[in-house]
Amino acid sequence: MAAVLTNPLRVGLRQERVIPPQCLVIFGASGDLTHRKLIPALFELYRQRRLPSEFAVLGCARRPWSDDDFRSRMAEAMADQIGDDHQAWAGFCAGLFYEPADLSDPASIVKLGERLERLDRERATRGNRTFYLSVSPSFYGSGTRALAAAGLLADSERSRVVIEKPFGTDYASAQALNKVVQACAKENQIFRIDHYLGKETVQNILVLRFANTIFEPIWNRNYISNVQITAAETVGVEERAGYYETSGALRDMVQNHLTQILALTAMEPPGRFDAEAIRNEKAKVLQAARLANESEPWTCCVRGQYSAGGSSARPIPGYRQEAGVDPNSTTETYVATKLFVDNWRWQGVPFYIRTGKRLPKRLSEVVLTFREAPVHLFDAAGGAPTPNQLILRIQPDEGADIRFEVKAPGSGMRSRPVDMAFSYDESFGEPSDEGYVRLLADAMLGDPTLFTRSDEVEAAWRLYTPVLQLMAESPWQLPVHPYEARTWGPAAADGLLADDNLAWRRP
Amino acid sequence: MAAQLTLQAPTALPPSEVPDYLDRLWQEGIQHSNGAATFTLMVYEGSWLQQQLIRTGRVAGPLTGLLEPSVIAAAKQAVTDLGLPLSTAVMDQRLAWQLGQQSGEGAAEDQRGQFVDAAISAHMPRRLVTLAPTLDAQRPLESLVAAYCPLPEEGGGGAACGDVVVLRGGRDALATSLPMVNGLIAPGLPCWVWWNSSLDEAPDLLEQLAPAQRRLVVDSSLGQPRRCIDLLVARIAAGQAVNDLNWLRLRSWRESLAMVFDPPARRNALEHVVQLDIDVEGDHPLKGLLLAAWIADRLGWQLQESYTVEESGIGAAFLRPDGAAVQLRLMPVPVGSPKIHPGALVGLRLICAPENRPPLCVILCSESGGCMRLEAGGMASMELAEEVVPLPNESEEQELARLLSGGHDTTNPLLAAAAPIAARLLPH
Repeated sequence: MAAVLTNPLRVGLRQERVIPPQCLVIFGASGDLTHRKLIPALFELYRQRRLPSEFAVLGCARRPWSDDDFRSRMAEAMADQIGDDHQAWAGFCAGLFYEPADLSDPASIVKLGERLERLDRERATRGNRTFYLSVSPSFYGSGTRALAAAGLLADSERSRVVIEKPFGTDYASAQALNKVVQACAKENQIFRIDHYLGKETVQNILVLRFANTIFEPIWNRNYISNVQITAAETVGVEERAGYYETSGALRDMVQNHLTQILALTAMEPPGRFDAEAIRNEKAKVLQAARLANESEPWTCCVRGQYSAGGSSARPIPGYRQEAGVDPNSTTETYVATKLFVDNWRWQGVPFYIRTGKRLPKRLSEVVLTFREAPVHLFDAAGGAPTPNQLILRIQPDEGADIRFEVKAPGSGMRSRPVDMAFSYDESFGEPSDEGYVRLLADAMLGDPTLFTRSDEVEAAWRLYTPVLQLMAESPWQLPVHPYEARTWGPAAADGLLADDNLAWRRP
Repeated sequence: MAAQLTLQAPTALPPSEVPDYLDRLWQEGIQHSNGAATFTLMVYEGSWLQQQLIRTGRVAGPLTGLLEPSVIAAAKQAVTDLGLPLSTAVMDQRLAWQLGQQSGEGAAEDQRGQFVDAAISAHMPRRLVTLAPTLDAQRPLESLVAAYCPLPEEGGGGAACGDVVVLRGGRDALATSLPMVNGLIAPGLPCWVWWNSSLDEAPDLLEQLAPAQRRLVVDSSLGQPRRCIDLLVARIAAGQAVNDLNWLRLRSWRESLAMVFDPPARRNALEHVVQLDIDVEGDHPLKGLLLAAWIADRLGWQLQESYTVEESGIGAAFLRPDGAAVQLRLMPVPVGSPKIHPGALVGLRLICAPENRPPLCVILCSESGGCMRLEAGGMASMELAEEVVPLPNESEEQELARLLSGGHDTTNPLLAAAAPIAARLLPH
């Protein structure tokens, strides 16, 4: 959101849920995520007085750092955020500790347990512990096992594990990983993070749908003709080539983030607002979702890869020219797919999902297009009346628009579309918390509403299994179409909608 | 919802034996544990209203210390029966005092300290010490002790066990127990002191019970306003973590006012406030003054003077950062059905006069009270933003539980900034 003048009366009012006394243990504390996201999010919570005085962060990694080493490295990395607020940093920093630990070494985890016992006493953290696995995915299973073996997950009320994405690489591996972690901890202790769910506007889908009466009656196949979910990035692969080469857009964005948005958009109303009720409904809708054509997935899925583009003054390299990328790579940087949700509400309504790198705009949105008016009484400025649309803008310019027809000024009775807009900036004027602030706070509060449950993860992987199998077994059937950098993806993706007499919304 | 915290009847012990008994208990271990590593909570539980209502036969026992619906209903009835002004709040100490003038010999089992709200017991206090003064000022000291553990299905195991100590007797007898009480505080764990009574009461006891390193919870609506605000200011200045339930009950008012100015288009109006009016119930102005002080602090106003208006109102003049004047007027208004605590807010009006734009009038009204007085007169030409402030529906125990759930060892900076201004606003 744009930077705006802070509402002086708003300061200090975001204290509704204070995190209980706690020790947050970060594995992979020497990695990027710790100083780029996690410690800044925790410092923000501290500044909002949402962290109690009885709080400790224990960084863990293999490097033989001391507490002071860890503190000074974090201070250095966060110099901009700390600014002149040295007093706040000093207070926060006193709760930072470091313990050299190796998740693959049981003795090291036992030693870690002893350090945690001492911290519990010194910081009165009441035995509440959140273990954040900011490590290579290959350590998720073994790391959880090591924690359980050391007895650190035995108290299901006071200990929990946060696991970053990716949770598995396909249905089978996700199932296997679920089995491992569920053997070590109860489901209510496992917090699978999906940082899209930390976004205010994603959470707003729930509020918009279930706190208003005007949307829900028309939120179904009787009124909605199709749904488009888009997550477009302007950036390329940047420094993530190593990871991206093994994942691609489908695994990196679609199976998790976009499918979660699909679930929130399509789910039935939960009976009450609690984690299990919401996750039950999300899981149910994902279990009812399927590719538009599971036996011939190449007809409902398009892959693309950006090629060189830009101008002669500012050329943009193609994906295969990026550092760390195989020059013959067939990893997709763009995916568009068509799904159906086979239930009473959505039968026959196509859901189109697309994501890509090096597209012309950075934006995420959900577009619900309503059915056309049954009779066209008026001439439309554009030839035919534009179908009504509800556009949920997730980022940037967070908000929502409703597009509808009005009378065009003049003597005739011609109609033209206009937008009625709600903007977070104009209504609230406050920047939202960064997604990690919300998700870290929720994990430490033990509130799993915004985290994905095992059955959701598995259903999301199962949904794309036919495509993943095709990519693995006969990739030539699902070719990777090149598209010029900074264009809206390959032409084949337009064909996906053109078959249904539709077109992607051009935001 | 209330819950019995102790699972078995507490053991009555001579007070001198309590420390040794507890030491022995935990040395032997309960469920292989030497107790939850949580906090000590010390509660001074006056419960004078309930005690007097029981003595005069207006409610049946047991005496739990909780403000139950039956107690509130009986207290409201007593206001009418005793001919007190209808604006008298249930927790107004004049009501308990008037009841004290009535005859009666009613008695009930005293379960204070054993009957604890579920919201508090959910945080597994390591030690809960209740000082329960009795109406009989000469009553000797009695002590009760019980250890407890959560039921297996509640989780936590031995690491969640704690104990309960109840000290009951006349106020003098309680004062003699203080050296022993101070020795009961679990070392290395935070200690909270909840003065659940009037701040006019037993200042020496409060002083000894709550030295600066302990986290103090008070209610500045209970007691003489000057004494209450001076105590808040002194304690905050001494570096104590002070939590005021009267301040916490302002949350919905602060939220509602902030919400009006969330749209950036309205921000500019905040820099051009010219008048602030606040209506409060009855004659306890402190809650209203804390709200005014918070607004003044957030908007950078400098207090010039404060004075009495129309006998029981308070007026004040501030200077805005741009040098323009702001007038405050806080007026008590009679109400037929007051809220539980003295001095609840009835309404707030904020008038802003931005340059080259129409004036903005913001009116916040209590959900139950309305604010017709503030809606009257001279606003036809102004942009009007009117909101109804929802009534908080949390009990003291739930408010306290929220504090205990993740406490701070410093006072909330907003309260720390507002309290000294409120103290200056209150005319001597």
